[in-house]
Amino acid sequence: MKYTPRQPESNVNVTPTSPLRDFFLLTAGLLGIVIVIYILLGLAVDLVVPRISTDLEKRIAGLFIRSIEAKDTASERENYVQLLLEDLQERCAKLPYLFKVHIRQASAVNAVALPGGHIVVYTGLLDKVASENELAFVLGHEMGHYAYRDHLRGMGRAFVFITISALLFGTDSNISKMLVHGLNITEMSFSRKQETRADEFALEMLNCDYGHVAGAVDFFEKIPKEQDPGKFGHYFASHPESHKRISHLEDIIRSRGFKLAERTPLPENWRQSKNLT
Amino acid sequence: MNNLLFFLTLISIGFVVGTIAEKRHYRSIHEREKKFLHLPAVTVKTVHYPDEKVKSAELVCGSAVISIDYFKRFLASLRNIFGGTVKSYESLIDRARREALLRMKEMAGDATVIVNVRIETSTIGKKANKKGVGCLEAIAYGTAMILEK
Repeated sequence: MKYTPRQPESNVNVTPTSPLRDFFLLTAGLLGIVIVIYILLGLAVDLVVPRISTDLEKRIAGLFIRSIEAKDTASERENYVQLLLEDLQERCAKLPYLFKVHIRQASAVNAVALPGGHIVVYTGLLDKVASENELAFVLGHEMGHYAYRDHLRGMGRAFVFITISALLFGTDSNISKMLVHGLNITEMSFSRKQETRADEFALEMLNCDYGHVAGAVDFFEKIPKEQDPGKFGHYFASHPESHKRISHLEDIIRSRGFKLAERTPLPENWRQSKNLT
Repeated sequence: MNNLLFFLTLISIGFVVGTIAEKRHYRSIHEREKKFLHLPAVTVKTVHYPDEKVKSAELVCGSAVISIDYFKRFLASLRNIFGGTVKSYESLIDRARREALLRMKEMAGDATVIVNVRIETSTIGKKANKKGVGCLEAIAYGTAMILEK
């Protein structure tokens, strides 16, 4: 047998393929999976939220509450808001929460309902309110979110992650803590329906506590006067269409026959303590 | 957004430059393989040839290190998710092996035949033995023999 050296015609070790085609195919596949997970998580929110016990919620709140409490400074205004809130809860809204008010120094006209009954109120809001009734309405609105558990839904997909992690690894684990720190929990989004429900809740409560509903729409009426939406921060960005909300509230006031009366003034030193907080 | 831009830039640089480099390398491999056609490199361990006619027998080796480009690495990491043949690495290993063989033949000079040829591969670089492949080394070695007719 004679040996004739020759080069192989084809390379069996390298698959003749277009790498770009591979690249796009795989990327599209990955993207598809991500989208499916995203949609499923969105659906999971509605599945998970009603099943969360207040106990679990409290434990989840324990994950981030220390960093919020660390910034707390005792002030007269905080005491006042806390007492007002407790009064509202005791007399008109028996919710299974131990509410705690945290005042934050910020220009944002905003209040945030965090899991576990922790309500963060920004000083920008405290400076804006003119009467106790108005403040009570805002607090009632946040309590309305608790009543319908919107504050958990509002966190959206992030909350599903936190819950799964809290159940799997416990609330002491570093994974849960890392997750909570990585997610911005104070940024929530609420649907118009959720806002309307919370408004109605607040209106009922105002009527229950004061016997009239004066001051309910004060808060919203301030918005067009200022004519500077940027100044209000994201509270109004996530609470849209204040005109519609005012007219909706007024409709209810009229149809339910709620009375209007004198507003209860804020304590005298409210403005002075403004500089102290 | 900036991160994504950076990433896409790396990927496209990896793809364009990597493809050009690979084509050029394959061209050179083909040419040199043709040049060395007369020198067979075989895996047999023993040669049945009269001892007095074996003029010399010595170790020859050649090695080549080929780096992976960003595009191939990304493609392979996508493959890691879905499974299947990692086609993007195939040409890399093929090039390294053939280049190593060619260098070994170059070292052999005017030898008649290279016997007992072995090829080995290893990964080198920061990421070796860890998650990703940094560089790939192929080393080919054998015994180059000069035989008298």
